[in-house]
Amino acid sequence: MTKKLLALIMALCLVLAATSALAETLTVTAWDNNFNGNALRAAEADYKANVDPDFALDITIGSGSSDVENAVTNAGSSGDYSLLSDIVLFQDRYIKNFVENYPDAWVSLEGADINWDDITAVKQSYSTIDGVHYGAPVDNGTVITAYRVDLLQEAGYTIEDMKGITWDKFLEVGKAVYAKTGKALLSMDGSGNDLPYMMLQAEGVSLWKDGKPFVVGNEKLKRVIEILTEMEKEHVLILANDWTGYTNETIVGDQVAGVINGNWIIPTMTQVTENTGKWQITSMPTLDGGEGYATNGGSSLYITGNCKNVELAKKFLAYTFGGSKQTYDEALRTGGVVTCSISAGQSEVYGEGVAFFNNQPIYKDITEMGSKIIPVEESPFHYVLRGYLGVAMQQIKDGADIDTALKEAEDACLFYMEGMGY
Amino acid sequence: MSRKPAVSHIQRKLIPSYIFLTIVAFLSVFPLYWMFTAATNTSVEVARGKIWFGTNLVENYKNLIATDNLWQAMGNSFFYAVVQTLAALLVCSLAGYGFELYHDKGKDKLFAILLLAMMVPQVATLIPLFTMVSQLKLLNTVWAFIIPGISTPFLIMMFRQNSRNFPIDTLEASRIDGLSEIGIFFRMYFPMMKSTYAAAAVITFMGAWNSYMWPRTVMKGNSVKTMPILVANMSNGYTVDYGMLMLGVLFASLPTILIFFILQKQFAEGITGSVK
Amino acid sequence: MNKKRGFGLLAKQKAAGWAFLTPASLLIFAMSFYPMVRAFITSLQTGPAAKLKWAEPIFKNYTRMVNDKVFLTAMGNTFLYLAIQVPIMLILAILLAQLLNNKDLKFRGLYRTLIFLPCATSLVSYSLIFKTLFAREGLINSILMGLGIIQENVNWLGTSTTAKAVIIIALLWRWTGYNMVFFLAGLQNIEYSVYEAASIDGANGWKTFWHVTVPLLRPVIVMTGIMSINGTLQLFDESVNLTSGGPANATITMSHYIYNNALGQGVANFGYASALSFIVFILVGILAFINLKVGDTRD
Repeated sequence: MTKKLLALIMALCLVLAATSALAETLTVTAWDNNFNGNALRAAEADYKANVDPDFALDITIGSGSSDVENAVTNAGSSGDYSLLSDIVLFQDRYIKNFVENYPDAWVSLEGADINWDDITAVKQSYSTIDGVHYGAPVDNGTVITAYRVDLLQEAGYTIEDMKGITWDKFLEVGKAVYAKTGKALLSMDGSGNDLPYMMLQAEGVSLWKDGKPFVVGNEKLKRVIEILTEMEKEHVLILANDWTGYTNETIVGDQVAGVINGNWIIPTMTQVTENTGKWQITSMPTLDGGEGYATNGGSSLYITGNCKNVELAKKFLAYTFGGSKQTYDEALRTGGVVTCSISAGQSEVYGEGVAFFNNQPIYKDITEMGSKIIPVEESPFHYVLRGYLGVAMQQIKDGADIDTALKEAEDACLFYMEGMGY
Repeated sequence: MSRKPAVSHIQRKLIPSYIFLTIVAFLSVFPLYWMFTAATNTSVEVARGKIWFGTNLVENYKNLIATDNLWQAMGNSFFYAVVQTLAALLVCSLAGYGFELYHDKGKDKLFAILLLAMMVPQVATLIPLFTMVSQLKLLNTVWAFIIPGISTPFLIMMFRQNSRNFPIDTLEASRIDGLSEIGIFFRMYFPMMKSTYAAAAVITFMGAWNSYMWPRTVMKGNSVKTMPILVANMSNGYTVDYGMLMLGVLFASLPTILIFFILQKQFAEGITGSVK
Repeated sequence: MNKKRGFGLLAKQKAAGWAFLTPASLLIFAMSFYPMVRAFITSLQTGPAAKLKWAEPIFKNYTRMVNDKVFLTAMGNTFLYLAIQVPIMLILAILLAQLLNNKDLKFRGLYRTLIFLPCATSLVSYSLIFKTLFAREGLINSILMGLGIIQENVNWLGTSTTAKAVIIIALLWRWTGYNMVFFLAGLQNIEYSVYEAASIDGANGWKTFWHVTVPLLRPVIVMTGIMSINGTLQLFDESVNLTSGGPANATITMSHYIYNNALGQGVANFGYASALSFIVFILVGILAFINLKVGDTRD
């Protein structure tokens, strides 16, 4: 009896598996359903309507960018890449390392019909390896600095006052805002966050120099950490305990009057619907004044070594994310995904005011800021160092000497790299 | 008439016990209660720690089934967990039976060696196991899911301990009646050990249903997604809808809670036999 | 003739015995021991997963641990959890079991079920629940403020001592009921007459507990002890999901750190991760052995 039941269930599974394997279907893995998931659905609809009515995407939403990273490393140990989908979304800052270490896992975009002159230079700098293009761009990760205009006003400031200011001035405004409203002007994930990285990038400085961590002797980094520690002490900065604490408690929990992060943070902010119309965005403060621009956490689509229909994948990526206005307009509307395609960024949709941000045409502003970013050196050990810098910040906050703590962070990162033979 | 005061006297003496147990029971159940209420609230309400029931249940359900294929994941989880439980019960009970009723020096030594496997850290064997499963061409199949969990030292030990309750006389008598060795196992042992099987089933099913790291390593794609993976995926986006997530969590928790409620009497009996 | 037939039967029975335990044993060898051997080989190698090469010197992954500050911190944390949480949990579990073993107590089944339930909860919900409860603006702070115990919100998960405490509380919440069920089962195997004898001898409740119950429960204590030591030394979920190992690695566990090295941070170091997990394996083995020796005082 149980045997029969088992056989029946198995047969059912086989049928299910068979029906999903259609010829014109590509499988894709991404990680944020409302963000890049929506961008993929926009592209699917575009390609289906204008190129091939039989086309379909089978989209899997993983638990994070690490899903695909782990799948590649796991597979790397056995050389069996069969678990990878045809196309995967991958973090810009990691792809170079992964293409070098796991060459069999990827197929380049050579021969795909993409006008690369139309894609921003920063974006291409990540996904071009030894002159060969691998990635089709999705979102641009440009950093926004958002303020609650109503709370600024209570403290006697306007959004214009915040443009091109120094971090010291930011601290001063933050103190006034906290005194008047009880809210912090900024928050970050204390377990390791990209805020120091973004602040440095706005200065044109990296955490890396010639492939080694640039922490000790990095005067700008030291100033960044000092000002962040000062801000934390003065209730201007909330150090959340982890990523969910950052999004869930500080942003959705309505504890902050300001947010600085890649523009993919916007859907988190808009969850608090009662604050509609109270936010606006501008550029980042810098250490010595002047507008700062940075990018954080953008990603691109890559064809994997397991792709069964490389020609179709190339055609699809070239047609849609290569610069289709329809794809990018819809991706912006449904997912808030800001393009790296220069021509698609000129679409009228980008000029529309966004109600949540006081009818500011934020997407036009974001694209404009994106064009001013200076690329800085990246490293596959970004997360490792980021984690150790988070540890250092906690220690400094609790009274440790800044130079010692930073030295320890650098040493810990070097220790990790040394174990990998770097 | 005279018994009544005696009873109430005993009960009065038990008042501290009642108070203590009620507090512990409340603390144990409160987070689960919160899980139920959270599933009926909006994301913002959950994030702000609301602890009463809300009105967003239907909306959360709609979002949940629009985001992911909930019932397919429930089906997958159920199928994998049931297959793993059946396989584990068969293999481990056979072994426990063999170790106890046919025991000799050699088998006792082997048993001691098998117990060592309890100490093998999962994180160490993940990658080698992945390689093995991929060489066997089993990736993305139910076999990949169940194969490391079929035989566990804990279950074998449990069956071995419980097998002490199986009278050796029954074994001898069945042999004289002409039953084959395997026949004795299925016809005599199996029916007598129902509560042990129930306890083992509860433990294995809970483990299989909740397993996350291993399936995440060897199963990829929508058609093989299980509930823990579905829930984890929902909880890790840039933006998390907590109301919807908690409803997902509720669906992911209900089967294990239900199974325990249904089998709890047998479960307790089975555990009792295993610690004798 | 007759003798020979009997011998044949016996051989047949013996063969059947081995046949019964062969599938389970083979599976354990294939799924636990063989991968451990493979992991050991990997522990002697370095580099990215697809390009592993022999380490120079060959035990480099083992020798460099001594200089690994984070691993030493993780080891300290793990042993702290072990030293505090396991005894509290086992004592609490025995106590609860003892209370529930009273035949005069009403609603015993209900209490048992409710107290057991936490371990049936899925991990994601459990960590999410605890994070929300212990958040800065969370329920625990509201209650403590309301009672006047604290003056301003405590950042439970953000300071190293309280974050460790939250992890211990979460572990207690999840596993005490589970262990209680084993003790309850153990108590039900103790004949009631033993207690009667004790009370005739004039022993009070506490004395009975220490001198009668605990010694009789020794095998169960050893078993749950080994399970708990093993579980704690391989502790992973709470560190990853509740505190992310923070603040400043104050709560990170050994398995969490191994995971970070293997899969957590984009650049995987399988060789070093395997070496670290071998150390965990050896530590669990040593402690389990000590536990067995200490527990095995009956002669």
